[in-house]
Amino acid sequence: MLAGVMSAGLMSSPARAQRPDTTGFEITDPLVLRKCGGCHKTDSTNRVARLSYLRKTPEGWEASVRRMASLNSVKIDPAEARSIVKYFANRQGLAPAEVAPGRFETERRLVEYRYAADGQTERTCRACHSLGRVILQRRTKSEWELLIATHRGYYPGSDFQAFRRMAPPAPDSAPQPHPMDQAIGHLSRAFPLRTPEWTAWSATMRPAPLEGAWSLAGHEPGRGAFFGRMVISKVPGTDDEFTSRATYRYASGGALVTRDGRSVVYTGHQWRGRSTPAGMPPDSSMREVVSVEPGWQEMSGRWFRGGYDEFGMDVKLTRVSPGAAIAGVSPVGLRAGSRDVEVTVFGANLPRAATAASVDFGPGITVTRVVRSSPDEMVVRVNVDSSARTGQRDLFAGGASLRNAVVAYSRIDRIKVTPQSNMARAGGVRVPKMFAQFEAWGYVNGADGKPDTDDDLNVGTVPVRWGLEEYGVTFKDDDTQYVGALDQRGFFTPNVDGPNPARKGSRNNIGDVWVVATYTPEGANARALKGRSLLIVTVPLYMRWEPSRTAP
Amino acid sequence: MRHLKAINRKARTIDQLNTPATPDVHDQPDVVALQGNSGPRVPDGPHVPLGCSFVFAPGWEVDSSGSTAGLCQPVERDLYDCYVTCFWPIHVPDLLNHAPDWTNKCAAAQQDWRKIDLIFP
Repeated sequence: MLAGVMSAGLMSSPARAQRPDTTGFEITDPLVLRKCGGCHKTDSTNRVARLSYLRKTPEGWEASVRRMASLNSVKIDPAEARSIVKYFANRQGLAPAEVAPGRFETERRLVEYRYAADGQTERTCRACHSLGRVILQRRTKSEWELLIATHRGYYPGSDFQAFRRMAPPAPDSAPQPHPMDQAIGHLSRAFPLRTPEWTAWSATMRPAPLEGAWSLAGHEPGRGAFFGRMVISKVPGTDDEFTSRATYRYASGGALVTRDGRSVVYTGHQWRGRSTPAGMPPDSSMREVVSVEPGWQEMSGRWFRGGYDEFGMDVKLTRVSPGAAIAGVSPVGLRAGSRDVEVTVFGANLPRAATAASVDFGPGITVTRVVRSSPDEMVVRVNVDSSARTGQRDLFAGGASLRNAVVAYSRIDRIKVTPQSNMARAGGVRVPKMFAQFEAWGYVNGADGKPDTDDDLNVGTVPVRWGLEEYGVTFKDDDTQYVGALDQRGFFTPNVDGPNPARKGSRNNIGDVWVVATYTPEGANARALKGRSLLIVTVPLYMRWEPSRTAP
Repeated sequence: MRHLKAINRKARTIDQLNTPATPDVHDQPDVVALQGNSGPRVPDGPHVPLGCSFVFAPGWEVDSSGSTAGLCQPVERDLYDCYVTCFWPIHVPDLLNHAPDWTNKCAAAQQDWRKIDLIFP
């Protein structure tokens, strides 16, 4: 089975020996050469077989090192493995522009991704895994060929699934390449080893200077927006490893959280860390996957945890400058005619002694008093005119401004449940459960009066009644009885894994259901609004590929 | 079939589906419409979140229509086939390389599924 892979490797080696292929990267690190050199030969130009001809994310390199240890019997201790991953991620990593389209993969986001550039290649790769794995790699053509050979060697089943023609070409059609050739051709054109992006980035790349105070803003599904501060310090003796302390408060409910973390920044822009809230057990720790924007003034990404990385929060960090800055406002939606509404403005270096006159929410919204004001947070009370025009308002306060900070509205036209489709997995007996969190958002249709158009305004999350409804697929569909329970916070807990004798045919506790949110607007004759999302509760995974899951 | 004429609503709907789409970019929500008059309109695929492999019928997380209704049920009944033949290498360990003794503790997954190991390659 492995003969195919080996012979492919052997065939290419003598060819390189005769005429050195200098498209690859030189590798001179003694540890890499010592650990990898047993199988990967170095040529006369310091190019190492296979290793010199690919670029990947830190996760990609970590997966390779783990595979070499688990399948190819490489003896390597964790410190050496970390050093090798760092060497490759920095020397043969990806530029910020190359990472951007595939960030959903490393941030472990459950999104619906369509790869539009080549449908056949998408089908070939996505038969088994996300396209994110593919678009976060760069290889020479012969390396893309060897990657396919490796797949065929390790997983012969792929020949009968993804790598075969699904049907013979129509008699009168033009010649169609085999799916494998199509993928190799496309990938070697779309994701070559050498790119202008990497040439430019590797010329300016340096350890990211991130020390200092950062303003933190984020959103956690189910708990809402949070704001705070993160102080980053360098680990002594290193230039790309950091410790961090994040302190933030949820805008709704006011819970204060402090997290202590440690991280490595790979390739000058890929923050990979882990943080734990003070006084909490280690299993509440979160992996931090954050991208540092070129210029080192902004970072954004996702912090996550859970059996399937499903508990996560979007985070955005902005370097605190000497001047005042506004990070966000809560609540965002201000209904026309409401009186004495408490609004909190979050930011950095806000004036300690702000006056009502110095906080300007624009036409129709009047600040009546400042309840309290500190550098990070200002609490004010506002009245909204009953004739306030529907629309977004910029905020100006204490010398700082925020575009589209709040929305004045008179009526919520519809609600939307996010995510629009979601997935949970049965578990709890032998494998972890995959939970699902939903949120309901209020929308105003905007000037055109039509839903789902660009001028719609999001007025923030709204309180709703949650319920499950049948998504009818089969005759006498009874999934809602078995898949699990949805609580009134929009949090879905799946049922246990394993066959269920109570179901016909001992089926698993899986199925398709609608998650339905019902919002009752204020007012006596208001009509209830409904929104829904498709939830697929499905089978577990018995093999977990994400190397970061078991990493410290 | 040009000599057949649609006479009821269902037939007209079928006829419309098979009629080349008018290349009016304002009416068409997707790029398919920009492909002009060649062939029938391709309907959108099922709405499936990331992580699903749904190319095969049945798939692992969802079947080819985006639902769980067509999956092998219970999954334990089908597990060893996926394992021995490397049928679902991303979802189930494979016999060849990663977990040669995955089934040692459970002869019949339908009864012994509590002994199935979770594999971190």
